Amino acid sequence: MRPRIVWTIFRKEIRESLRDKRTIRAMIILPVLLYPMLILGISWLQNSEEEKTNAHPSNVAVWGEAPPALRSALAASHIDVKQDAPMPVKVAADLQGGHVPPMTPPKDDEDSDTNKKEKPPADTPLTLAARQALLSRKVDAVLVVWPRLADALAQGGLGHVAVLFDSTRPASDKARDRLNQAMNKFREQEIALREQQRGLKPGFSEAVEIGAANVAPPSRQAGFGLGMILPFLLITMCLTPLFYAAIDATAGEKERNTMQTLLCAPLRPLEIISGKFLAVALIGIVSAGVNIISLSLTVARIAHDASTSGSVALSQYVLAFLLLVPIVLLTTGIFMAVSVFARDFKEGQSYLMPALMALMLPCGVAAVPGLELNAALSFVPVANIAMLIKSVLMGEVSGELAFLTIVSSLMYTALAVVAAARVFSREAVLVGGGDTVRGFLGLDRIRVPRPGPGAAVLVFCTALVAAFYGTLALHSMGVTYAIAVVEIAFLLAPALIAVKLGHFSARETLLLRMADWRGLMAGVLVGVSSSAVAAGIGMRLIRPPADFARALQKAMLFDNTQVSLLMLLLVIAVLTAICEELLFRGFILSGLRGLGWKAVPLTALLFGLAHASIYRMLPTFLVGLFITVLAWKTRSIVPGMIAHAINNGLIAVLVRVRPPWFHAEHMQNVPWSWMAIGALALAIAYALIGSKKTEPAAPGPEMLSAAAH
Amino acid sequence: MPQKPGVSARGLGKSFGKVTAVRDFNLNVNHGEIVGLLGPNGAGKTTVLRMLAGILTPDTGAVLVDEAPMETLPLEAKRHIGFLSGDTQLYQRLTAREMLEYFGELYELPPALLRQRIAALMDELDMESFATRPCGTLSAGQKQRANIARAFLHDPDILILDEPTNALDVITGRFIVDAIRGRKAAGKAVLFSTHIMGEAEYLCDRAVMIHNGTVVEEGTVPEIVARSGRATLTDAFLHAIGADNQNPERQRGVQQGQVN
Repeated sequence: MRPRIVWTIFRKEIRESLRDKRTIRAMIILPVLLYPMLILGISWLQNSEEEKTNAHPSNVAVWGEAPPALRSALAASHIDVKQDAPMPVKVAADLQGGHVPPMTPPKDDEDSDTNKKEKPPADTPLTLAARQALLSRKVDAVLVVWPRLADALAQGGLGHVAVLFDSTRPASDKARDRLNQAMNKFREQEIALREQQRGLKPGFSEAVEIGAANVAPPSRQAGFGLGMILPFLLITMCLTPLFYAAIDATAGEKERNTMQTLLCAPLRPLEIISGKFLAVALIGIVSAGVNIISLSLTVARIAHDASTSGSVALSQYVLAFLLLVPIVLLTTGIFMAVSVFARDFKEGQSYLMPALMALMLPCGVAAVPGLELNAALSFVPVANIAMLIKSVLMGEVSGELAFLTIVSSLMYTALAVVAAARVFSREAVLVGGGDTVRGFLGLDRIRVPRPGPGAAVLVFCTALVAAFYGTLALHSMGVTYAIAVVEIAFLLAPALIAVKLGHFSARETLLLRMADWRGLMAGVLVGVSSSAVAAGIGMRLIRPPADFARALQKAMLFDNTQVSLLMLLLVIAVLTAICEELLFRGFILSGLRGLGWKAVPLTALLFGLAHASIYRMLPTFLVGLFITVLAWKTRSIVPGMIAHAINNGLIAVLVRVRPPWFHAEHMQNVPWSWMAIGALALAIAYALIGSKKTEPAAPGPEMLSAAAH
Repeated sequence: MPQKPGVSARGLGKSFGKVTAVRDFNLNVNHGEIVGLLGPNGAGKTTVLRMLAGILTPDTGAVLVDEAPMETLPLEAKRHIGFLSGDTQLYQRLTAREMLEYFGELYELPPALLRQRIAALMDELDMESFATRPCGTLSAGQKQRANIARAFLHDPDILILDEPTNALDVITGRFIVDAIRGRKAAGKAVLFSTHIMGEAEYLCDRAVMIHNGTVVEEGTVPEIVARSGRATLTDAFLHAIGADNQNPERQRGVQQGQVN
């Protein structure tokens, strides 16, 4: 691939898109207008409604005899006593005759939310009459005063009143607040009077004053309301400009027949797709940036107006923006892979609509209240990012979950890009209209001995997702069997199935051949030394939390004494080595081999990522690197298996047997002396295999063409 | 004239699903030679030309471009080819000049050479008046002239032109015909398809007649006419594809100028 060519195609696509009003509209104008309109509009509506209710006094009917002190308390709380809705005569007679029992106060007086959810009391003639009065809209609430209130108070007894209101009417809710306020004031006055009359200290009757304050983090308060709807909104808004740009770059070129001028130019399909992919992705990323900026300015503006404590920090916006990037890449891949099948712009739109819907559906999950990111959700594409953006805006992010989310998202993105690249190498798609599914999956291609990078990525992602969900499903099985099942069914099986489906040569792909004595010796040396070096470097650079090692040992059975050491070695060392080596150093390394030496660190990187933890990433990457070099140089799977088995077995034995010279401390902080010895062993190992001339196992031109597919 | 092969096809075959578009197609176009590919609609002309230009991969057979095999060295082979099709549109939102600069960079022409080539082609094809207008606003003739400039931009040794004069007025058609003759004089190999017999008679050194995806007649125009025992190339063509006696009505229509 020539970067200059990719850059040329990229520039042309950007230039064309910038001259397309649809793209500009969706990328810049829409987001700039949307957030202020939406958020300011909503809050303006709310405020104006609230101001209206605040400005007007509440109209309240008082049923019964209110003492003058109560009346003045009502007036002080902005309440107008209205005579328009008098008590029905029958009810008045019952009340006067003492036939209406006083109403008990609701359990939790202060919390209006609880009140609303409470079952309404059974209807009585009194409540029915009040409902009637409220429905007439002449009053907002009814204050019922039981007879002889003044007498009861004068004698130091208990008086009864009740507030009847309609929670579904904001004006009535407001009236209730004011009535409560007025009644509290009235009650406090009475209590103060009584305490004074009896010579008691103020506060005697209150006994305890209960203060309260909402201490939720300000970011959470501000983010909470936003978090519900914003991920959905943000993601949808980022996808809209991608929609047009992707169709224009693919189906548009076919519609105008310009695609064939590209195809007859000296270009590789991968260069064309790369240039176009980057251009479309950039449009999405710019759109994400514009969306985030517009959103942050809008929120800042509201916070300024309301002068509330709630605000979202700059870093939260930056994080949210960064999280939109994988979504943009994923969507770009999917959109381009789908829209290239369309013959013209119209067809492109009708093809992409379902894809857009499918992407937006998981976004909606994030809007479900109370649903928070967990390990299982972190592997659901799009939904995981939407949830993560939600927690970012609320100011709480779990490092491990964020890591899983980003790793899985990048994985899905890689799959989408592979799919798009694959579509672009199909001439039936580029020149004509459709393609067969068989053709797309490469089942009718000329057979190649080894898989390409696309197949490697596909198998890796499949294995990882299968293993991830498999582990959750197998939780009840007992750890030993669960690990064994995961290794065989989810790591080994995908590799073997892919070899079978792709009609690849198993021997070539999985490196099924014996190594000579130097290779085997190197395997042993790498096995005993790799962890000392890898953990020594890795743990020093990224230090895991204290309880991490213990949790890991438990998960890996190391300190589970119910499992015999033999069983432990069989599963953790032997089985794991066989399955993981065939997948990583077999299938994946072979698939990536077309990329040259880069295949080695890439395979190690995938190996590190597969351990699905930010703390294990670096050490496992390094161990993976040491082992991958073995397979690369010897072109045999065996030395890697030996090294892997010894490495895992050694750790298991050390942790289980705990020889006197080994401390748990050593796992975290590998002594420098061990690292030095380990490095020496590694050097000897690579000298052994490096001196040997690697046989040229026919990587010729057919390998390169396989890599390009 | 030295017979240096520019582009050659050996045993080309291509199917789309169950439809066989081209089978066992052989062709040689030498440098300094104009070859016309004649055939009715659906004969497989476009498929052949697309395989020769590397847009389609043949199911069987091989294409050699200036001795570079299209299958294994596609980039090398494509660098020698200028491809033009009558139905190609342009990038609507790029100007003609921007479009040429884009393709110049894709063909990796050095900037100085690219500027020089663009200036020369704009002069030759009289493009200055519309060079800075977006291609979407150009007339059909202007578009096709811009397209010719694109195909000739990297000064290819081999020109593959698929019905280049399709739906063009006389003036633009003349530009193209002149350009083709000019390239021949410069020692380029030119292969073009047409169903207009007059154009073929006027331009071709040799003609290849294709019907149902395979070659039915080949030679210089006088040779073909003589072999058929007919008076004109049109009659010879109808004879070659076996359509001269079966459908007199169609034949009359054809004699007025076009084969459809």
